Amino acid sequence: MDLELLFAAAGQILTPWPFFLLFIGTSLGILVGAIPGMTGAMLIALTLPLTFYMDPFNAIVLLVAMYVGAISGGLITATLLRMPGTPAAVMTTFDGYPMARNGRPGRALGLGITASFVGGLIAWITLATITKPLSVFATKFGPFEYFTLIMMAMVLIASVSEGSLAKGLISGLLGMLISMPGVDPATGMPRLTFDWYMLNGGLKLLPVLIGVFAVSQIIKDALDIGQVPERIAMSSKGMLMSIRDFLHQGVNLIRSSLIGTWVGILPGIGASIGSVIAYTAAKNMSTTPEKFGTGSEEGIVASEAANNATVGGALIPLIAMGIPGSVIDAILIGALMIHSIQPGPTLFLTNADIVWGMIAACLLANVLMWLLMTSSVKYIAGLMYLPRSFVLPVVMVFCVIGSFALNNTMFDVWVMLIFGVMGFLMECAKIPLGPFVIGFVLAPLAEEKLRSGLMMTAGDFSPIFTRPLPLFFTILAVILLLWPIVGDWVRKRRLSHK
Amino acid sequence: MNLLQRFEIWVSLLVILICLVFLWESRDLPPGSFEPLGSGPVPQATAFIVIFCAGLVILNALRKPVQLSENEETKEQPSIRAGLIISLATVIYSLVLHFRLMPFAWMTTLFLVITIWGLERFEKKKFFPALITAIVIGFASEYLFTEVFIVDLPT
Repeated sequence: MDLELLFAAAGQILTPWPFFLLFIGTSLGILVGAIPGMTGAMLIALTLPLTFYMDPFNAIVLLVAMYVGAISGGLITATLLRMPGTPAAVMTTFDGYPMARNGRPGRALGLGITASFVGGLIAWITLATITKPLSVFATKFGPFEYFTLIMMAMVLIASVSEGSLAKGLISGLLGMLISMPGVDPATGMPRLTFDWYMLNGGLKLLPVLIGVFAVSQIIKDALDIGQVPERIAMSSKGMLMSIRDFLHQGVNLIRSSLIGTWVGILPGIGASIGSVIAYTAAKNMSTTPEKFGTGSEEGIVASEAANNATVGGALIPLIAMGIPGSVIDAILIGALMIHSIQPGPTLFLTNADIVWGMIAACLLANVLMWLLMTSSVKYIAGLMYLPRSFVLPVVMVFCVIGSFALNNTMFDVWVMLIFGVMGFLMECAKIPLGPFVIGFVLAPLAEEKLRSGLMMTAGDFSPIFTRPLPLFFTILAVILLLWPIVGDWVRKRRLSHK
Repeated sequence: MNLLQRFEIWVSLLVILICLVFLWESRDLPPGSFEPLGSGPVPQATAFIVIFCAGLVILNALRKPVQLSENEETKEQPSIRAGLIISLATVIYSLVLHFRLMPFAWMTTLFLVITIWGLERFEKKKFFPALITAIVIGFASEYLFTEVFIVDLPT
């Protein structure tokens, strides 16, 4: 770890303007996380246009702070409304809500907030220590290593996404296909443009992102506008964890944080899966598993520690290899590219200040998140009851402005609306949206690597099977692809035997 | 056939259609001259795999037993009216901005009044809160984006 660079970055963030952005980012993230239907991905996608004219360091500090805040803020609605503010907080609803209904909302929120902080801290230690060695290792990757790694990541994302493997693959590969119109990266000639000059530059990430994540969510929320949440009286009693609590929950906290960090590192999986695995592990290892689902403290701690730990974990592949660890990381990659910074293993060499800024912002935003949420969760909770009829149209206006601002053209607004409808339809068919965006971001890199590899070998694909790393990634991808099919077959056989 | 199965079939068909359009457009892409693969094979292979997966989803949806899902039986009916209001209003808002028929702040105010009030089922007592919110957001957002963030708006 380059402590000197880390301290320099932290020092820079603690100067007035970057600190103000860190504060605004964390606060907005928490607020958006606390409003049902609004997600961190939505907030970051809408904020991206505002960062065009910012210094890249400040822009990244703002976006990382939003990321940390949004994942944490989701626990408020999960606990008080049984409605996860962000998908990552879904497991918190199982125990947070029953505990709040039993008259201990402060205790439920306090456990969640501190667990989030500890999860974020443990993940941050991993982030700060292993990212650089991993990026040094990744600089040895050739085109085939990269191509097979991306393919493995896509299969992994598809296989663990909500719904079936086929739906995950449809989403990821459709995202890849949609990113292909425009200038061919190898020949420089336009392709798949349907003779329409507006498509010569290809479809831009930002309108597609805003459409898929924000517009589709607005339509969905408008359809559910009749659902009125039940109010739970809020009290801050029991908010702070005692030393006894730490001793009692210590193993659970560390285990869940490590699970979250590891899941975050795996490309494209994200916070929801991390909290599901940590929750299941906590339940299996608990001496009182029967309490899970009825207001168990262990359940809340496991879920929240893991989902916050995925934030730091997911930043590791982003910084070390340029591969997004989650949907929000895909947006962060977009943000880096907008600021002419090429994500990948050379990032430590070319933009060390940005990388260490990102790492330092992750830590400081976690600390700020804990302070803000512990001191003002009572007031933030009031936001959950904002009438959606007022919030949704305002967010739609920001979607239009955000898409227009990219190139000052209404073409991007129409692209946003079309992808909004597409995202909504995909959600209705339970086709996950995460793989779509990650596929969209990774496709140009995958194609470029494959084609440059083939140029080096004069069209010979055999290095995929003769070099150790590409072979390893390919075998892993095949196993991941076959796993659900084989698992299904085994389950059916067992049932028929019974 | 439940609602999810119907959605699975129709959305998969839409996805297949999109892939077919891409395949049609890629038929004339030239083979590579200085590199072996050329522009066409990657999108074509991607489109074929998506079509295959979409076919699997359709088959799976057709094979599933016909029953109402638990959600469908118990879930509150969606407010189609609210969905239509916000969708149609957004399309009209975008069209007006596209053809520069009205200044941004005025059009945004109008869009917000109609949509907020519409989502509140045009209740009389909600009109003034909607109007005040719309005016504040409409004009404040124009000022904020053009003067503070220095972002161009469609005016």
